[in-house]
Amino acid sequence: MSELKVSIRYATSLLDTAIEKNITESVHQDIELIYSSLEASRDLQLMLANPIIKPHVKLAVLEEIFKDKINSESLNFLKFLVEKGRENLLESIAKKFLELRDEYFGIVNIKIISAIELDENQVSQLKNKFEKILQKKVRLNFTIDNSVLGGFVAEVNDTVFDASLKHQLDILKKQFLTNGVSLN
Amino acid sequence: MAEVRPDEISAILRKQLSGYENEIDIYDVGTVLQVGDGIARVYGLSKVMSSELVEFPNDVFGMVLNLDEDSVGCVLFGDSTLVKEGDVVKRTKRVASMPVGEGMLGRVITPLGLPIDGKGAINTSKFSPIERKALGVVQRQPVKEPLQTGITAIDAMIPIGRGQRELIIGDRQTGKTAVAVDAIINQKYTHSEEAKGLGIKPVFCIYVAIGQKSSTVAQVVAKLHEHGAMDYTTVISAAASEPAPLQFIAPYSGATLGEYFRDSGRHALVIYDDLSKQAAAYRELSLLLKRPPGREAYPGDVFYLHSRLLERASKLNDELGGGSLTALPIIETQQGDVSAYIPTNVISITDGQIYLESSLFNAGVRPAINVGISVSRVGGNAQIKAMKKVAGSLKLDLAQYRELEAFAKFGSDLDKSTQRTLSRGARLVELLKQGQYVPKPIERQVVAVYLGTNGFLDEVPVHEIERFILEIIEYIEVNNNDIFESIKKEKQLSDSTAEKIKQTVKEFSGVFK
Repeated sequence: MSELKVSIRYATSLLDTAIEKNITESVHQDIELIYSSLEASRDLQLMLANPIIKPHVKLAVLEEIFKDKINSESLNFLKFLVEKGRENLLESIAKKFLELRDEYFGIVNIKIISAIELDENQVSQLKNKFEKILQKKVRLNFTIDNSVLGGFVAEVNDTVFDASLKHQLDILKKQFLTNGVSLN
Repeated sequence: MAEVRPDEISAILRKQLSGYENEIDIYDVGTVLQVGDGIARVYGLSKVMSSELVEFPNDVFGMVLNLDEDSVGCVLFGDSTLVKEGDVVKRTKRVASMPVGEGMLGRVITPLGLPIDGKGAINTSKFSPIERKALGVVQRQPVKEPLQTGITAIDAMIPIGRGQRELIIGDRQTGKTAVAVDAIINQKYTHSEEAKGLGIKPVFCIYVAIGQKSSTVAQVVAKLHEHGAMDYTTVISAAASEPAPLQFIAPYSGATLGEYFRDSGRHALVIYDDLSKQAAAYRELSLLLKRPPGREAYPGDVFYLHSRLLERASKLNDELGGGSLTALPIIETQQGDVSAYIPTNVISITDGQIYLESSLFNAGVRPAINVGISVSRVGGNAQIKAMKKVAGSLKLDLAQYRELEAFAKFGSDLDKSTQRTLSRGARLVELLKQGQYVPKPIERQVVAVYLGTNGFLDEVPVHEIERFILEIIEYIEVNNNDIFESIKKEKQLSDSTAEKIKQTVKEFSGVFK
C-alpha cells in the first residue's frame, strides 16, 4: 500500500512538471515507451529491482536504452528516480502517470473484448456511443477473446457493459434452471 | 413411457424464451484480492454501498462491511473455498434483505430467508432490508397490552408487555430456552376464537437460533409442532456449523420478519437465542476484518450491535396501527458472572431481566427464576388488574422468606411470625414451580396466586402443594367455571369472585386428601 502512495506522488510531480512546461504529449509518449519496454523485458525489471546493482550502473543502463528515444525532461526524471533510490517503482509510477494523465485530460479507457476483430465502422460506432453515454472522451483498447463467442464486453473502470453472446447464454441457462422445465 | 413429441419441447422453450430480452447488461464488478476465513477483500466495486449484497462465482453471496481506501471488505455467506483470488465479484445493488410475508409462518429458514425444512419454496412477494433503523419517539406509545408467557412466576412478578424487551439471562442448562419456548406455546391461545372474542390480538412468534446445535433446533421445532405452535411461528436458524456472518445477521433477520407483522398492525414476539453467540460471531468477523479489538477482544461497536437490534422492538402508536414487536433476548453467562461485558451491555439495553440460576435449578425450583433480582421495568403497566391485585404481596413475601431462610438453617427456635413467614414462603416457592411445555392460562394463575398470598395454602403440607393446586383448578373448572370466566372477561378480581373462590376452597379442602 505504501508503495502505491509513493508512486502516486512521483507520478503527480512528473505530470505537474509536464503540464507546467507544456510538454505533456511528448512526456506521455516517453512514459508509454518506458512502460511498454519494462513490460516487455523482465531482465530490465529485475535489474532495476536488484539492490546489489549500484545506482550508477542502473543509470548508465537506462541512459543507454532510452537516451535517443525520449526527451531530456523524461531522462532527467529517470535520473532523479535513481538518485532517490526509487527506480524499483518505475513501472508502477509509469502506470500511475498514464492513469493520472488520462484523468487530467478527461479520457476514459475502455477495454473492449470481442470474439473477432471489429472493423473500422464498428469501432467508430462504439466510440461515438460510449462518448455519448459517458459524456467524456474515450480511448478504446481492444482484446480478442474467443470465449465471449459473439458480441462484445466493454469494461469501463469497475462497470461492465456486457453484450456478449456468452453472457446472454448464461442468463438463459439461469432462467431455465430457476423456472424449471415441466411438461405440464 | 409416453413418447415426448418434439413440438412439446419447442413449446416449452418458446414459453421460457418469450420473457427473454436481448439487451446489454450493465453491472459493476470487482476482483477478489484475498480470501479466507469467510472474509474476502475485493478490489474495485467502487460504487458499492455498505451492507450491500455482492455476488461471487458459484452462487456464493457476500455482504460488504468495510469500505476501505483501496479495497472493500466482504463477509461470505457461503463456502469460502469456492471463491478464489482473482474471481470477479458483481454488485447486486440491493442491501442485504430477506423475503417477508405470511408464507414464512410454520417454516424453518436461514437468515437470508431460504427454506431449510424441505417443504419447498416460500411464497412471498415482499423484500425487506435486514438492517433497518429503529423507529423514533413519535411513532411509539407506551407498552400497555400484556404478553402472557404462561409461566406463573413471570406473569405474576415480572410481567412482560407487548413491545417490551425482556432479557432472559443465566448459565448453561438453567432452562433459558425452555422459558422462551413456553412463551411461544402459550401464544396459541391468542390465535383462538375465544381470544378474538375477548379482544386479545394474536401474537406471531419468531424463534431465532444463533450458533446452536442443529439437533437442538430440530428438537425445538419438533416440540413446537407437537404443541401446535408452528402454525404461527417461524424458526430462523443459523446453526453452529454456519459461517459467522450468517450467525451475525440472524437476529436482524428475525427483527425484520417481526417488523413485517408489527408494521401491519399485528403483534410479534421474537426470541433471540442467544445473543452471546451472536456477539462472538461478530467478534470473529471484526477481528478478521482487522477492526481493532477492545474489552474481551470484542470490537468497539459491540454495544451498538445489540442496542440497534433491541431498539427495533416497539409498540407503535394507534395511527400506525398499534402493532408491536416484543423481544426476548437470551444471554448465556459463564459461572453466573453477569458483570462480563456482553451481559452488562444487554442488561442496560433491555427493559428488565429474568435471572435463571443453576443452584435453584438443581434444588428443583423450575423454572429456576430468581425473583429477587429479576425485574420488569415497564411490564407492570400491561399486567391485567386481577393479577396485579393478587400478586402485590407475592414478591415481598418471597423476599422476606429468602432473607429468613438462612437463619432457619440453624434450627434454633423461632418466634411465631418468623415461622409463619417461612412456611408461607416455602409454599409460595412450591406454587411457582411449573413443568415445561405446560403454560398456565392467566385466569388459573390468578386463582393459584390468590390462594397462596391469602394464606389458603398454609394448612396444606409443602409437598402436597403442587397436587393441591392442580386438583383445585380442576375442581373449579368442573364445578365453578364462572370464576375463570369472570376473570377472563372482566380482567379483574371482583369481590364476589373472591368470595366464590373462598367458598370453593372450603368445599375443596373437605374432599382433598
